[in-house]
Amino acid sequence: MFDIDWKGLALPFAYLIVLGGALMTFSTIYRRRKAAESANLAPWFGPHLQRDIYLSLLHLDPEEGAEKAPKVPDGVLRAALLRRAVEDIERLIHIKTAKQACGALLQRGSVGDDLWQRFLRAEKEMEEELRDVVTEANALAPNWGSIIFQSAHEIAANTKLRQRLEEIQAQTDAEKAWWDKKRGQIRADFMKELEESEKGSTKDAHEDDAVVVDSPKK
Amino acid sequence: MSSDYSYDEQGQFFPFFILTVTGLVTFPLTYSLFRKSTDNDALAPRIKSDYTSKHGDVVTSLRAAQKRKQRKIKRVIFVVLGWALMAGMVYLIIVTQTIVPKIWNPYDILGISESFTEKQIKSHYKRLSVKFHPDKVRPDPSKNETLEMLNDRYVELTKAYQALTDEDVRNNYIQYGHPDGKQSFSIGIALPQFIIAEGNGKYLILLYTGLMGILLPYMVGSWWYGTKRMSKEGVLMESANRLFRHYNEEIDEGGIITALSTGKEFEAVLKGDQAESGLSKVESRITAEGESAPFACGFSVKDKEKLEDLDSGVRRKVLALLWAYLGRVELDDPALTKAKFEVGAIARTLNQSFAAIAMAFGSIGPIAGSFKANQHLIQALSPKSSPLLQLPHINDKVAAAIEGDSKSHLSVQQFMDLPDAERRRLAIGKDLLSEDQYKEAISVGKQLPYFRVAKAFFKVTGEKVIIPSSLVTLVIKGRFIPPGTESVPAIDELSLEDIDPAEDDLDALMGRKKKTIKGPDGKPITVEDNSVLPPLTFAPHYARDHSPKWYAFLSDSKQDKMAVPPFTFDKFDQPLFDGEGKPTFNMQTLKAQFAAPPQPGHYTFCMHVVCDSYVGFDTKMEVTLVVEDASKAAQMEAEDEISEPEEDSIAGQMRALKTGQPVGGEPKPRRNKDSSDEESGTDEEEDDTSDTNTDTEDES
Repeated sequence: MFDIDWKGLALPFAYLIVLGGALMTFSTIYRRRKAAESANLAPWFGPHLQRDIYLSLLHLDPEEGAEKAPKVPDGVLRAALLRRAVEDIERLIHIKTAKQACGALLQRGSVGDDLWQRFLRAEKEMEEELRDVVTEANALAPNWGSIIFQSAHEIAANTKLRQRLEEIQAQTDAEKAWWDKKRGQIRADFMKELEESEKGSTKDAHEDDAVVVDSPKK
Repeated sequence: MSSDYSYDEQGQFFPFFILTVTGLVTFPLTYSLFRKSTDNDALAPRIKSDYTSKHGDVVTSLRAAQKRKQRKIKRVIFVVLGWALMAGMVYLIIVTQTIVPKIWNPYDILGISESFTEKQIKSHYKRLSVKFHPDKVRPDPSKNETLEMLNDRYVELTKAYQALTDEDVRNNYIQYGHPDGKQSFSIGIALPQFIIAEGNGKYLILLYTGLMGILLPYMVGSWWYGTKRMSKEGVLMESANRLFRHYNEEIDEGGIITALSTGKEFEAVLKGDQAESGLSKVESRITAEGESAPFACGFSVKDKEKLEDLDSGVRRKVLALLWAYLGRVELDDPALTKAKFEVGAIARTLNQSFAAIAMAFGSIGPIAGSFKANQHLIQALSPKSSPLLQLPHINDKVAAAIEGDSKSHLSVQQFMDLPDAERRRLAIGKDLLSEDQYKEAISVGKQLPYFRVAKAFFKVTGEKVIIPSSLVTLVIKGRFIPPGTESVPAIDELSLEDIDPAEDDLDALMGRKKKTIKGPDGKPITVEDNSVLPPLTFAPHYARDHSPKWYAFLSDSKQDKMAVPPFTFDKFDQPLFDGEGKPTFNMQTLKAQFAAPPQPGHYTFCMHVVCDSYVGFDTKMEVTLVVEDASKAAQMEAEDEISEPEEDSIAGQMRALKTGQPVGGEPKPRRNKDSSDEESGTDEEEDDTSDTNTDTEDES
């Protein structure tokens, strides 16, 4: 009936096919890349060692030949859970402080979008983790869940303080050596001026040494 | 009447079209290419010194390579192509004959002048019609004439005659320019004929697909991913993300250096087998015992442990090279040496990103650390080394000899302030400096721009007191006094005042680039602000040219938090040095605006003025911001009302808007004398009733 010029129509159809094909290829490649990217996002935190210890204590496999798994004492389990909570508290503090900064930096274009994605995911994981710890704590001892993080926070703060103290204490030897050297030098200079009574004064100075160097522990 | 499109068969118009379009792109590009460089690094004066470090040639070549990289090759090619195309088009325009469409003119056809009267025209026509009537003349074969042509000519003549004599035809002629009435017109398209010629369609479609389907998406895509790839600070997004992950509140300078080594930029420098080659050599060199420090590169045991914890690979080598750069450790290998300097320069760019991250967190420790890291990276100094190493020829040994056995380091200023004889005694000697080297070091020291703050205060432009939430200006007055300058003139008290621009001076009030000085008659006048560049940083080890910048920021010393983010100053309103390189001691004014706190009270801030290029040139001082209650401020102003308000003044209207009061309480335009005693300055007595800092969090 109609005389269709198929040959003439080939070009428009080819155009449509090429256009549609290009758009489809783009969208599939883009989506695949996006998916691969989000799957490959590195976790915000490293492996959670304390959680792994707790879980492996909880699900201890029975030894060969034995029927039942060895019973882990409750105290050990509790200690492991507390350690896990301490680690969680540290991560929680990190997330809390970083959230605002990360958001602001993202808006300004100073950090990338995938960092924010990783951050949001870490935050979500953290929530799950906290909930899990609370239920575990309640299972081990009634109502422990409500106070476990309080104790964990205190432990974390104390550990930090100790670390700082140790760092300062670690400098004692170097400082001591330096002061000794300095004092020795001053003394040598002094000696040159007062050449008469050499031996007596050195001994006295030695006794002084012990008093000055004694740094208060704690 | 017909209107059809005609293409540009003779090629008359499309050269014009293409010339215009190309010109639109090429002219601005050419301008941007040849514009006088506004780059600070190119214009800034240099610190005069003949000193080159041992690897000065490597540093120079790296600087040149960087400059070459910044040259816009693509733009040059584009501009050259544009000009070539334009020249081609101009050539085409010149060689193509233009065809001017003939305008129908009855006088020309009749061969008469326009001054002929109707009578003369009639007689002329009669003569012509006798001569040209087709019945009278025979076609002349020698002129290749036909009967039709003769006919046409006669018709034309008649038409022309009628156009001049007959009423109707004349009307037609006047209205449409032709005795037959409206003529057909054509619309031309400035495209050459060959584009629409039969058979070329498929090429055109190919071209169109190429442009719209491939080139355009590609360019948009590459632009978009380009912007997403780089962070605002000009480092790769990936590097910025890694730096963010390495941030923590307790990070110190060594920690920052370790964090900087994560940058992705380094991977481009240490490609392939360079990634690990020579690592053990670098490590053994930097961990060898140093002259004055336990390690040659000057890092702490903690930093060493951090280095050793890393897997070997690019990152470990980068960190090792970075420490070698900071410790100025000799590596005895051209490739390693080159990489060392390159790594140092890249680390500084990365540090910009780290500074932005630290700023977002707001803790003063890491922020100060990043500023310090910046200074040390530019000067190639390790965090704990002596600032004296900034001077030429001075190495660890000389610095140790100068400082003696002191626990704290001597700053460049302190050293230069010593009397000359004392300096010589300390620095010159066997294994130390020679006379020439000493002179070189001192001459460089006397050219370093050390900004000495004279006064810092807060004020609100045009107001006497600072009311809550107003826009406060922090005014810092100071002079550039190079270390070791003798006979520094006393500060001129007048120069310490900050004068408000006159109220009718709109330009200044709107914050345009002007500054206000006091005129000879005591009235404030506003003069053009000439921006003076400080001399380029003296950094013989840094593989880039860098012009120093100064940052001023306020911190809350009780919470260790940043209160007002840094303001950058890289240009000054008065020359720092005169033509001979002598300091001018001009009073420089630095201004930073921020919003006052919403509650009245006394706020004590710690003001930091930091130079990003020199170690030990920082200033830290306490400033107090006194914010008065708005009602109290209004009362105070009412008290010293002197004369009728000027309702038409801008300040008056602004005041009325701000306070919601009628302009009745508007004080007379202030005289300049007032300004110095009303600002809340550093010299205020400090009764600290600040209510912001009470909730300092306690650990545990």
